[in-house]
Amino acid sequence: MKRRILLSAAAVLGLGAAILPFSAFAAEPLSVLLPPWVTLPKEMTDKFTAKTKGTLDVQTLGWDEIRTKIVTSMMANTAPASATEMDWSWVGQFGSANWYDDLSGVLSDDLKKDLPTTSIFTFDGKLIGVPYNNDFRILIYNKAHLAKAGISAAPKTPDELLADAKAVKEKAGVQYPIGLPLSATEGSATAWYLLTKAFGGDLFDKDMKPLFTEKDSGGYKAMAFEVQALKDGLIDPASTSLKDVEIQELFKSGKITFDVAGWAGNLAVYSDATKSQVAADAAAALIPNVSGKSRTIGLPGALGVPVSAKDKEAAHAFINWMLDTETMEDNYLKLGNLPTRLSVLQKLNKDGKLQQGDMLIAQAGLVEPLFPSGTPGWYPEFSAAVATNLNAAAKGQVSIDDALKAIAEAAKEAQQ
Amino acid sequence: MAQSFQKKRAFLNREARLGLGLSLPIILIMGALVILPLIFTVIESFYRVEPMKPGMPFVGLRNYANLMVDDNVLTSWMNTFIYVVIAVAIETLGGLGAALVLNKARVGRRWLLAAVILPWCLPPVVNAIIWLWIYNPSYGLLNGLLKAVGLIAENHVWFNDRMTGLFLVAVVHAWRMLPLTAIILLASLQSIPTNLYEAARLDGASSWKQFKMITLPLISSGLAIALSQSTVFAFNLFDEAWILNGSSIGTRSVMVQVYMSAFQNMKFSLGMALSILAMIASLMVSAIYVLRVYKETRFD
Repeated sequence: MKRRILLSAAAVLGLGAAILPFSAFAAEPLSVLLPPWVTLPKEMTDKFTAKTKGTLDVQTLGWDEIRTKIVTSMMANTAPASATEMDWSWVGQFGSANWYDDLSGVLSDDLKKDLPTTSIFTFDGKLIGVPYNNDFRILIYNKAHLAKAGISAAPKTPDELLADAKAVKEKAGVQYPIGLPLSATEGSATAWYLLTKAFGGDLFDKDMKPLFTEKDSGGYKAMAFEVQALKDGLIDPASTSLKDVEIQELFKSGKITFDVAGWAGNLAVYSDATKSQVAADAAAALIPNVSGKSRTIGLPGALGVPVSAKDKEAAHAFINWMLDTETMEDNYLKLGNLPTRLSVLQKLNKDGKLQQGDMLIAQAGLVEPLFPSGTPGWYPEFSAAVATNLNAAAKGQVSIDDALKAIAEAAKEAQQ
Repeated sequence: MAQSFQKKRAFLNREARLGLGLSLPIILIMGALVILPLIFTVIESFYRVEPMKPGMPFVGLRNYANLMVDDNVLTSWMNTFIYVVIAVAIETLGGLGAALVLNKARVGRRWLLAAVILPWCLPPVVNAIIWLWIYNPSYGLLNGLLKAVGLIAENHVWFNDRMTGLFLVAVVHAWRMLPLTAIILLASLQSIPTNLYEAARLDGASSWKQFKMITLPLISSGLAIALSQSTVFAFNLFDEAWILNGSSIGTRSVMVQVYMSAFQNMKFSLGMALSILAMIASLMVSAIYVLRVYKETRFD
């Protein structure tokens, strides 16, 4: 009798142990790797569960750390998560390493037409990232500071920007009016790319030869502008240690007047009184340009599915949910991430929910990709050289000429 | 004769088996986690391991040759040597001072020991973030203190000057690692018989002479261990430089350069070759310390 009970118990335990992994698998949440600015609030993840019956295991990591995690995991043939962030600047590297699935089949034709930035995430004919965060740059300024200085309109050229900054410093008592990151980080490099366009230049010609070493080039003038503004006391000397997100904090606290390379979606955050001390004074303008006609760059974020991802179907469902009109609206209103779908942008503007909507839509029409033929695999090496040398020039450790020559040299080496 | 040989062999077998049994876990762990990856790293440093390019061709010493002519790599080597000199000097002198105080202290010794060990208990990243706030040019404690005592008139951006930046990063590293040196030296100090000092005092030896003739020679092995670990850790400095000043070339260490080559530029074999060179350099410098300290502080 005892033996029978013992055998029955063993059988039940064995069966339980065999079933457990399957039941656990069925209830396993979808692992997603996202940057801090996409920390989905519970209200949003609950909506995902209500729609798909699935749950999310969201890992939030810094931008640099996400990249490192993806690289280390993929080198070990393991997916870091079933769906991950895919920055525009990683497309060349991750695409040539064949680390991400082609997602062309996941999107309907209508959705593809509604997403103009998909070309940035297309590598070798494969769509390796679905854009969900429409990051382009716009000039964000504090209109109260300008009013105090007797300035009625936002600057339209870099010279006007400098003149306005000097006036604000003198008359409005803002110690360092211009906000630009100058640390050795990606945010400093992207601000320089933007200013290169503002000075009427481009980074490379069609053969990928550097166009920024001559004194009359846009890139040279852009770096000279940054270094001179720092020397003139218009940029905080501490900017050589500040990242772009720290510049944003300075704007929110009213310590700077111009967020020169402002993230378009951030207007929602700057205008939110619970997150910003200058909510009533944040305004946007087109990026100044020497020609008078604004130019800006698009640096969108996307979601990708690693080739070795565990749960691809659920990852596809998550990506489609992130593109839903309601999710995109929530993503903008709660987190400040601007929608990538044109129809959602227009709806938000029509409903009066898009902060400075007309200006945003006007600037969105002037967005240029940094690399028209797609982000090359050598971009991170080039970008690191830009950040390092810009930082060294700002600290006075190298001249502008030497810094730009070193960047050009690094670009040539990286291309080999 | 044959009987005694058999007895000896049986004795050796039993002892050897026990020794092997006890050593086996560490041999396996070290083999799997240190030796095997090291062998793979050495082998792959002679190949081109770049996931963006197809294949993994043998390139011989090309990775090593490329490192010799890369300006960023050469600067990061120079920065690392400066880190090693500053960090090892602070850790050794500070650690010895702390160990001597702890050895003499009679009141509140356990609290003092806890206070000395505290920085070592902090994770390197937390340690670096605390110092990032201290060095912050706008609201940092360092600027505040110096302004309060009238040494500076306005806030300084500490990392704008390369040498200051290198010194400050090395200080943060030394602050974290100094307790380890102090504990190693304290253990050595506590093993010195007190009657040696009593005899020296009877002979009229001064405190300095006692330190030079008794303390220093008898802690030489501990000092060599402390110097070696300080050197190896200073060569591997990463968190402090990365968190305090990112990839800035002025404070970039060899390990930061390894990270950038391997994980940012995805040139893994270049990163592997550089990490092998860093390992060799730290071992060589450590070996010099061990041999020199050991030789100079021996009575015989």
